[in-house]
Amino acid sequence: MSTEADPFLAEHIHEALARDERVNAPELRVTVEHGFVHVDGVVATEDRKRAIAEVIDEGWHELTLDNRTTVADFPPDGRIEVV
Amino acid sequence: MLRLAAVGDVHVGADSVGHLREGFATLAEQADVLLLAGDLTKRGELGEADVLAGELRDLPVPIVAVLGNHDHESDQQRVLTQRLLDVGVRVLEGSATVLEIAGVRLGIAGGKGFAGGFVGACATAFGEREMKVFANASMLTAAAMESALGSLDTDVRVLLMHYAPIRGTLHGESPELYPLLGSYLFAELADRCGVDLIVHGHAHGGTEKGATPRGIPVRNVAQPVLRRPYAVYGVEPGRHASQQADRRADAPVG
Repeated sequence: MSTEADPFLAEHIHEALARDERVNAPELRVTVEHGFVHVDGVVATEDRKRAIAEVIDEGWHELTLDNRTTVADFPPDGRIEVV
Repeated sequence: MLRLAAVGDVHVGADSVGHLREGFATLAEQADVLLLAGDLTKRGELGEADVLAGELRDLPVPIVAVLGNHDHESDQQRVLTQRLLDVGVRVLEGSATVLEIAGVRLGIAGGKGFAGGFVGACATAFGEREMKVFANASMLTAAAMESALGSLDTDVRVLLMHYAPIRGTLHGESPELYPLLGSYLFAELADRCGVDLIVHGHAHGGTEKGATPRGIPVRNVAQPVLRRPYAVYGVEPGRHASQQADRRADAPVG
């Protein structure tokens, strides 16, 4: 197992998460280090959060996924800002 | 005072039926108009367009939208635009629209915008054909946007886009990405023409609030930034008119 950060691999995974139709999220941040792939950002649904794990498992099953993504389910706050 | 609700980057897909509409449940009590700042779908497919149209159909306030890069992924942006028009959404691309709300004329110019970078770190239309195409895309888009903005003689003027017009609302993103997230050309044209507010999306890792060099408020309304269904901005009529007066006073004589 690698103990070093792998920025090139991280970029390949980032590209896969952008292109894969189950996810299509180029806005996610991906880092690879010590055998883990860390994915961070906001996705629109639980299905897409789960799909991140599928994409990683299909392409890079030797890595352990640390899925830090948040599903967009934000409550309104009633604020108004006068600009 | 006009109350403008705004959000972008909602990425509607077949797996998100009802999500958007749920967030808009109290929209009518909070806002006079809804602005959608692009990336309305996950990948711009026709099935997603149908879901999006269903989410927006019969909402209680007028809706004005631009598309984003995600909405272009399947190369079906014309059909997506038509689906939105069919449910009463006004869709801008280098164009403008006027709404009259409680006696105030609100003009909104907009379009997707494009990338290219910011002062000191910009693409230039020089060298390879691919580089010229890339840099010229921003210039052509900005020219259309300026023409649309110039056509508006309204009490309030808003510029609605997907890509960012300033660096300020990109803070939090990797600086290496900035040239892909927006272009200074749009801030420059807004400062030249005078607007009350610029709204954009696209930069999920950015920050909500910024301003152009002339002080026009810029708001990044990407939903991952807002972390709420939409933001609401109050705009008093007349701000851009006073900006134009300031510019005339600044202009060199002779």
